[in-house]
Amino acid sequence: MLVVATRYVERVLRYPFGRADVRHVFSSIGGTTAVGLVLFLGFVFVAIFAPVLAPYNPDAFSGKPLEHPSNAHLLGTNDVGQDIFSELVFGTQISLIIGVGAGLGAVFLAVVIGGAAGYIGGWLDFVLMRLGDMLLALPRLPMLILVNALIGAGVWQMVITIALLFWPTTARIIRSEVQRVRQRTYLQLAHHFGSNRLYVLRRHVLPHITPLIVFGLVTSAGRAVALEAGLAFLGLGDPAAKSWGLMMRYALNLPGLLLTDRWLWWLLPPGVCITLLILSLTLVGIGLESRLMPGLRRQ
Amino acid sequence: MKQRLILYLMTLWAVLTLNFLLPRMLPGDPLQALLDPQSSTYVFDPATRAALEADYGLDRSLLEQYAGYLVGVFTADLGHSIRLNQPVIDLIRSHLPWTLLLTGSALALASLVGIVIGTEAAWRHRSMWDTSLVTVSVILSNAPVFFTGMVFLIVFGVWLGWLPLSGGRTPFADYSSLLAEMRDYGSHLLLPLVTLTLSLLGGKFLLVRNSMLGVLQEDFMLVARAKGLPAGQLKRRHGLRNAILPFVHHLASHAGFAITGALFIETLFAYPGIGQLIFDSVVVRDYPVIQGVFLVVSLMVLSANLLADWLSYQLDPRLREA
Amino acid sequence: MSTPLLRIQDLRVQYSPAGSRGGGTIRALDGVSFDLARGEVLAIVGETGSGKTTLARALLGLHPTETVTGSIQLGGRELSGIREQEWQSIRWRRIALAVQNAGTAFDPVYTIGAQLQATVRQHLPLSRRRAVEAITHLVRSLGLDEHHLHAYPHQLSGGEKQRLMLAMALSCHPDVLIVDEPTSGQDMLSRRHIVTLLQKVQTEADLSILLITHDLAAVAQLAHRVAVLYAGKLAEIGTNREVLGRPRHPYTWALRNAYPDMGTARDLSGIRGHMPDPANPPAGCRFHPRCTQAVAECRLTEPALEHHDSRLVACHLGGLQTLLQARHLAKSFGANGHRTHASSQNGARQVVAAVKSASLEIYEGEVVALVGATGSGKTTLGKLLVGLLTPDTGTIAFQGQAITTLAGAQLVELRRRIQFVPQDPFDSVSPRLTVQQIVREPLDIQQTGNRDERNQEVHNVLESVGLPTSEAFLARYAHELSGGQLQRVVIARALVLAPKLVIADEPVSMLDASEQAKLINLLKAIQNERGMGLLVISHDLALVRKIADRILVMQGGQIIEHGPAGQIVNHPQHDYTRTLLSAAPSIDWYAKKP
Repeated sequence: MLVVATRYVERVLRYPFGRADVRHVFSSIGGTTAVGLVLFLGFVFVAIFAPVLAPYNPDAFSGKPLEHPSNAHLLGTNDVGQDIFSELVFGTQISLIIGVGAGLGAVFLAVVIGGAAGYIGGWLDFVLMRLGDMLLALPRLPMLILVNALIGAGVWQMVITIALLFWPTTARIIRSEVQRVRQRTYLQLAHHFGSNRLYVLRRHVLPHITPLIVFGLVTSAGRAVALEAGLAFLGLGDPAAKSWGLMMRYALNLPGLLLTDRWLWWLLPPGVCITLLILSLTLVGIGLESRLMPGLRRQ
Repeated sequence: MKQRLILYLMTLWAVLTLNFLLPRMLPGDPLQALLDPQSSTYVFDPATRAALEADYGLDRSLLEQYAGYLVGVFTADLGHSIRLNQPVIDLIRSHLPWTLLLTGSALALASLVGIVIGTEAAWRHRSMWDTSLVTVSVILSNAPVFFTGMVFLIVFGVWLGWLPLSGGRTPFADYSSLLAEMRDYGSHLLLPLVTLTLSLLGGKFLLVRNSMLGVLQEDFMLVARAKGLPAGQLKRRHGLRNAILPFVHHLASHAGFAITGALFIETLFAYPGIGQLIFDSVVVRDYPVIQGVFLVVSLMVLSANLLADWLSYQLDPRLREA
Repeated sequence: MSTPLLRIQDLRVQYSPAGSRGGGTIRALDGVSFDLARGEVLAIVGETGSGKTTLARALLGLHPTETVTGSIQLGGRELSGIREQEWQSIRWRRIALAVQNAGTAFDPVYTIGAQLQATVRQHLPLSRRRAVEAITHLVRSLGLDEHHLHAYPHQLSGGEKQRLMLAMALSCHPDVLIVDEPTSGQDMLSRRHIVTLLQKVQTEADLSILLITHDLAAVAQLAHRVAVLYAGKLAEIGTNREVLGRPRHPYTWALRNAYPDMGTARDLSGIRGHMPDPANPPAGCRFHPRCTQAVAECRLTEPALEHHDSRLVACHLGGLQTLLQARHLAKSFGANGHRTHASSQNGARQVVAAVKSASLEIYEGEVVALVGATGSGKTTLGKLLVGLLTPDTGTIAFQGQAITTLAGAQLVELRRRIQFVPQDPFDSVSPRLTVQQIVREPLDIQQTGNRDERNQEVHNVLESVGLPTSEAFLARYAHELSGGQLQRVVIARALVLAPKLVIADEPVSMLDASEQAKLINLLKAIQNERGMGLLVISHDLALVRKIADRILVMQGGQIIEHGPAGQIVNHPQHDYTRTLLSAAPSIDWYAKKP
């Protein structure tokens, strides 16, 4: 009975936003995954072709300070005369690098740690999972603030620290899936037939956790993008990497910004971009969850 | 429960140790840099520098430093602020109530509204209401809280001019009555509160709605309906009562979200809580304050964890067995 | 049984499956009518997916209103179409449901007692104290006590929850109790417990019970009447003794034969085929794809539920068909083995009566074993039935046609439908023919199809008896085959004309034990798959009881005992049968001496 109870809690824990069901709602509106994917690929496109798409070098003083939008400067210029539109385009690169990089790092750690915990089990499982529980219980933002304040925030430092903080959620899911697979008869049979561990992992375990890896990647990337934007907004980002969050920070630093129309082309676009990028990843996550993991939802 | 308690004690110890080790172990030796005249973070004021040296005791062995640090923590001595040369504990003491007021009321409000509309949306599964609420929630929970806050600030503070733009109260105000005082505090709280509530609401709504949907498909719900119980009893006595369990289980992470959100919102609205404090400290690399805030926030989140676990055990007889 | 307490008329539950686009309507219940009298126990039986649970929920108004049509009358009051609030006063107070999965039927966060109390106080004007007293009393009467009431659901065993579910269903003294699969998933002892309990509460309260189950043993013990549900429609309804004792509908018959029962010695065989897709039921009779006796009409029109004696059966043919019926057959031989005819009897010679007034019936899709010692006349009887011998007196009818009077083309057609597997395979095949020629011979004789089609048919039938179909094997002669292979060839030859009835005379007696086991299982499998009748003539009771539905015991040219296999094996009435049974081989050296 306790098993039922914990499983029930686990089910909800695993899908706090119950995305499987959101799917029904969205499928009536139109392909969730498609919308998310198109949005996301759009951002990827912009990031790759930023040098082509942006009219100016974002660091160059291409105009007078605080110009209004014009044909020369689509979104005007900032307080030192840099083109806002070009900043926006190049900002995509930073958000994506941090999002994808931190997501990959977190998922890599999650696969190694969750896989080892689930496959090897025993005391290793206990230690790794308690470590994960501790990390989950820590407040993430203050932790990141502390670390970044101490070491100074470069893009790569941020990727690593975010990855180090984010692995437990996905590791937990992977661990329980590996445990489930490990108990399957066909896996025990594979051992019985004399296969080595590597074969079993590659042939039987990996296919089961691949969808989880993709799902973990997408959700972690979304959260990493949000965190980076937040940190940059607080002035804790890499001051050399002009991300969307940092743009908003600079904009808000201008006294009386909100009292003029300036926020419309300076503050709003990066905010909308951040929201859309995170949203696109969430939408892909919703679609992936319902499509790749039908078996997981039914318990 | 006992196991959880041990876990939290261990986590607490880990937080304390991490807080001690991080500044000392990280590359670039940030603490030494404070005292190094060649460094960009060199502290010029000799009095402050003396206080720092006393607080950190960098000339002693690591173990002695650790012992001194632990004694300090348990005697509420968190060192001195570089920026203000004040005891960190005093700074936190003056800022924390604002944050508690903001996060506490936002959490309560978001929980209440989330539970009510989550239950109703699940009850009317796939209706127009349900669909639009889910859509709005997904978008709301994805927008960064500082961005939504900014939009509110512009709309209600600037365009409509209904509410004050910043601060926790009107500076130097002399209140004629208690009511006026409360109104002033309230009007300053309202925008940050609404922003934080909305950013928390999406997740809470989806959580309640989806666990409610799961519960509604359980056999016991069919039996309850077959027993001829009226709809209200089905919805609340059986449906919501079970759907609330995962919600409570998640209360701790909600508290974490709320505090994170509050840090941003306070910065944005210049609300005088610890978010404001940490922001001001970060700019000048005021490590003792950042460390102190980290410690206090960790403590708050851990207590929220403990509370959520305790509540779960109270509400779910199946967990009590273990 | 006067006016019925509950009257269901033309009840239908139809809905479109969620998320499908034009996937068709699921007809979970498709025009069901029956009555339930006060104090009566009516069992609804059927396989999983037959619509039993849908019926139970419909009677409590739990389906969305728009999916339900037809009439549900309780004590003369029409219930279908009433509002949800009105249903609330009917549910549990008038009609209560003990659900299938008692394990998950209780809300996990309240104690059992609290849930019972809330139920009782919802419907009955009792004070808290009186309610507690009533519940305690009720729970005690079901063999449980107060500590069960203070427990949470997860603290109780499945059997306890099942009984508490029953207590909850009885708590408001309903007029009708619906019990959905009360015994499924339970071990034998708790199953017996539940059945006794149901019996007790039914008689004590003169309760009307609708027992929904696939547990035929529970039905046999509890039900007054039995209704058989198949794919949303009633197949047969009648008294317990009639429906379970002598099933008329082929589905009922098959269901009963698939039921495991300590009384049956036979191995189990499922009903051939599968339950139809509820979104696309087959045209005509829904059972026809699985039925062993389906005729053209069964594929076209749906049979109505019609009176046959005192029961109702929905079958175009009026129920299970008699495949072969023999009445008072007699056959005598001359003393030296010369055949004698009644008309040309020579009084000087001694006459041996091999078969004396034997009567028997074989139903569609049935396996009958004819057992007896050597010289009991069973082989003669078999040959009479096939038409290899002509009876002195008596009649044989096959599918209603009297074959004793047939001749010419009609007889040829009849021979096609009854096939014979003779006792000695070596004697029954020509040593000059190859395997292919042997098996193809009946087709050649009957002139069916062209040569390629015949060879294809031979190929198929050899495959179905588990023989190789290589060119080399087809070209072999009888002496090149093992005993088992040869017997299979002979069986293949009997099957190649797709007969309705196969009479096999000692089909396995020449083989070793292992081959015997394989071949007898093969015979049963082929019989089940093809839905044909099978009469196995054997002296080996131990072997044939494994496959036989019924057993006929023959001695001295007469059938001295017949009945369901389990009955013959476990409760033999005749001394001779008992002798046969005790003589049956056994390697159990603790068994009693003969």
